[in-house]
Amino acid sequence: MKQPRLRKPAAGSLMDWAAVIALAAAMAVFALLRGGSFLSPANAVNILRSMSITTIFAIGATITMAPGGFDMSACTLATVSSFLFASLFLWFGLPLWLSVVLTVLLTMVLYLLTMFLILLCRVPDMLATCALMFVYQGLGLWWTGGGAVSAGMPTPWEAQPVRTGWTEGALAIGASPWCILIMLACVAFAFVFLRYTRHGRCLYAMGSNHIAAAYSGIPVRKYRFLAGMLTAVMIAVGAIVVCSRNSAAQISGCDSYLMPSLAAVFVGRSVGGAERPNALGTLVGAALVAVLENGLTQMGVVYYVLPAVKGGVLALALIAAYGPRRRASHIAP
Amino acid sequence: MVLEAKDICVEFPGVRALEHVDFQLMPGEIHALVGANGAGKSTLMKVLAGTNPGYRGQVRLDGRAVELRSPAAAKELGIQLVCQEVDQALAPALSAAENMLLDELGRPGRLWVDWRGVYGQAEELKRRLHMDLDVRTPVSRLTLAQKQMVLIARALRSNCRILLLDEPTAPLSAVETETLFGLCRSLVKEGQIAIVFISHRLPEVLRICNCYTVLRNGRFAASGPVTPQTTAGELVAHMLGTEMETVRPRVSRPAGDELLSVHNLSSRDGSVRDISLTVGHGEIVGLAGLVGAGKSELCKSLFGILPRSAGEILLDGRPVKPRSPGAGAALGMGLVPEERRKEGLFPGESVSFHLGIASLKKWSRLSLLSRKKLEQNARTQIEELGIKPPSPRQRMELLSGGNQQKAVLGKWLAAGCRLYLFDEPTKGVDVGARAELLRVITGLAQTGCGVLYASADPGELLQVTDRIYVLYGGRVAAELVTARTSEEEIMYYAVGGKAPVGEKGRDRFEAAKA
Repeated sequence: MKQPRLRKPAAGSLMDWAAVIALAAAMAVFALLRGGSFLSPANAVNILRSMSITTIFAIGATITMAPGGFDMSACTLATVSSFLFASLFLWFGLPLWLSVVLTVLLTMVLYLLTMFLILLCRVPDMLATCALMFVYQGLGLWWTGGGAVSAGMPTPWEAQPVRTGWTEGALAIGASPWCILIMLACVAFAFVFLRYTRHGRCLYAMGSNHIAAAYSGIPVRKYRFLAGMLTAVMIAVGAIVVCSRNSAAQISGCDSYLMPSLAAVFVGRSVGGAERPNALGTLVGAALVAVLENGLTQMGVVYYVLPAVKGGVLALALIAAYGPRRRASHIAP
Repeated sequence: MVLEAKDICVEFPGVRALEHVDFQLMPGEIHALVGANGAGKSTLMKVLAGTNPGYRGQVRLDGRAVELRSPAAAKELGIQLVCQEVDQALAPALSAAENMLLDELGRPGRLWVDWRGVYGQAEELKRRLHMDLDVRTPVSRLTLAQKQMVLIARALRSNCRILLLDEPTAPLSAVETETLFGLCRSLVKEGQIAIVFISHRLPEVLRICNCYTVLRNGRFAASGPVTPQTTAGELVAHMLGTEMETVRPRVSRPAGDELLSVHNLSSRDGSVRDISLTVGHGEIVGLAGLVGAGKSELCKSLFGILPRSAGEILLDGRPVKPRSPGAGAALGMGLVPEERRKEGLFPGESVSFHLGIASLKKWSRLSLLSRKKLEQNARTQIEELGIKPPSPRQRMELLSGGNQQKAVLGKWLAAGCRLYLFDEPTKGVDVGARAELLRVITGLAQTGCGVLYASADPGELLQVTDRIYVLYGGRVAAELVTARTSEEEIMYYAVGGKAPVGEKGRDRFEAAKA
């Protein structure tokens, strides 16, 4: 049978590495312009530290998006988790390990509400999480009585908190090296889970074609639930790191991480021609954002122009990743 | 003569959809256009409606040569099409009245909408068509039959001389069909309108139409008036023709013990009604019937996709109740679905990914996938099925249709099923791959598995099956033994010929033919 072998155009394979090339190019440019101050080990730690939180949330988004899901409410829920963590630790004086475990568990319980709307009520992910964004916001503020949770403040029921301040152990979570190690652990877990386990493969099958996955005997609803629960764990971990770094659980403290984390996943999607949300790609995406932020600040770009430059480079990476593929779409249906 | 089409040819890449077809339409008649699936009926309709501008040949309207190169040109000339998928032509959020007058409302140069005029004109159309609906209801709340009426009203609102109805009765109930027929009769009685009517249901055609034209494989097959003497058997003979492909039925083997036995199965959506059937070990059982007869739905309700409302399924004598495809697969069933791209493929993934996806537990330990085992499995299946190119890493979207289908089948081979459900497995598959697929399927039966094989092509069923159930309107219309039946007989029952199930139906068929 004569069938013309269709090969991916050479340009495609170059575009597969667009995000990595952009990252390398940005680093080269900053190294040339700023020299030692950009390349120093201290600055490398700086960059890793600043990208750690975004990466953790982005890994959560990666796991949700692997089976074709989406979560707009992730970082709003994270704010609630940080309230929970701070209140468990400060108000009730629980040991650090117990506060962490309880925060993770309670976040998973709260995430059941998201799963209820998506899996049982069958509301599309985007709409369900849009609505829940407000629900979680309200729930969190209701728990704290409308304020932030920080050391030395009384509880909403006018009791004195058990602990008056953060311990050194609690503050270490958000500082290097711990926050970097936690980030790397999350990336490593997601990498192995999505790439090398049966479950990861089922999630990717769902992301590729939901109906075909179901017709292949994959219990699609169970796997969507599993992905949701793992995302909830990532949300809780990210929230604890944020809380520790700020040494307080602030109002809307985590909300601003949503868009950078989603951007990281989208940039990382095409890394290496994976064409699906993947852990390493997400790491590259988050690194690109962090390197740009760090380098541009060193270059003396004023802080209020920073978002425009950052967004512009992100847009270029996305154009490189998605643009050419659309043109080749008549080859690959 | 209102319309005369001569020597119409249409070519799609690689396919000749219509070859030198002639078609004539008289004023005031209801003209049936009949043919098997893929005979070219819808293609001819599209030519007349102007949506197939690449046709060759000549069309004359009232003796004047016309060019139907765009839908607008066809509408201008008074040719209106009511297509099969009514939803595609309607704006669901607008009211019935707005949809009836959509052509005028969208015309440029009008800024204000005269609502009183719109509703007044809609009411008038409603009276003319004896419609039973509130013209202010949004179309999304109407039933299929009502939507169809809205489209017919829109067609009549503009200048309409020829009304093309593409399978209008397929989604309608008996009562709704009756209403539609009443409308058709009253429209042609006025004498200004001629109707072209496409239907698979021959009894309907014989009741409502004055004239018929039969197409076969894109060619003109026969034409004539419908008289009380015209029979469904006669039309079936034209649809199949004399140049029937000589197929050699496979040597039938005595079936083993009963593997699958279904009693009075009905699906909740009513597309499968009261079906009973059996499949033995090592037996290939065919499901015949036209598109929409319930073949796919039967396969899906057995596999646990469509919810069932009644009935019993026994697998190797044990009652089973699959409620999800996962449960169906766990029971040892495997479904190769009809719509490969939508229901079977993961386009960006590799061949090896596809071949392993239904049996991942086999290729993993403690949840960790073994790359070696997956690759090994892929190589075995690729060799077994003759997938080309024989590379496990190949991305699926770059394979030909036939090789894609082999991979979809391969995932169930790797899982090792006892009952295989095939739904139109050779659809969109080239001749070489088709032969290989049929070889594999016959091989499956030889190893003692049961096979349920649904196809709208009687020739193919004669080639591979041992026994055939013919479905019509979601029910079993006849049970036939392959060695003692013919394409004609299968077609006769598939288009609504009546027979008691079983061997007795045969005599009835012979009588009807004579």
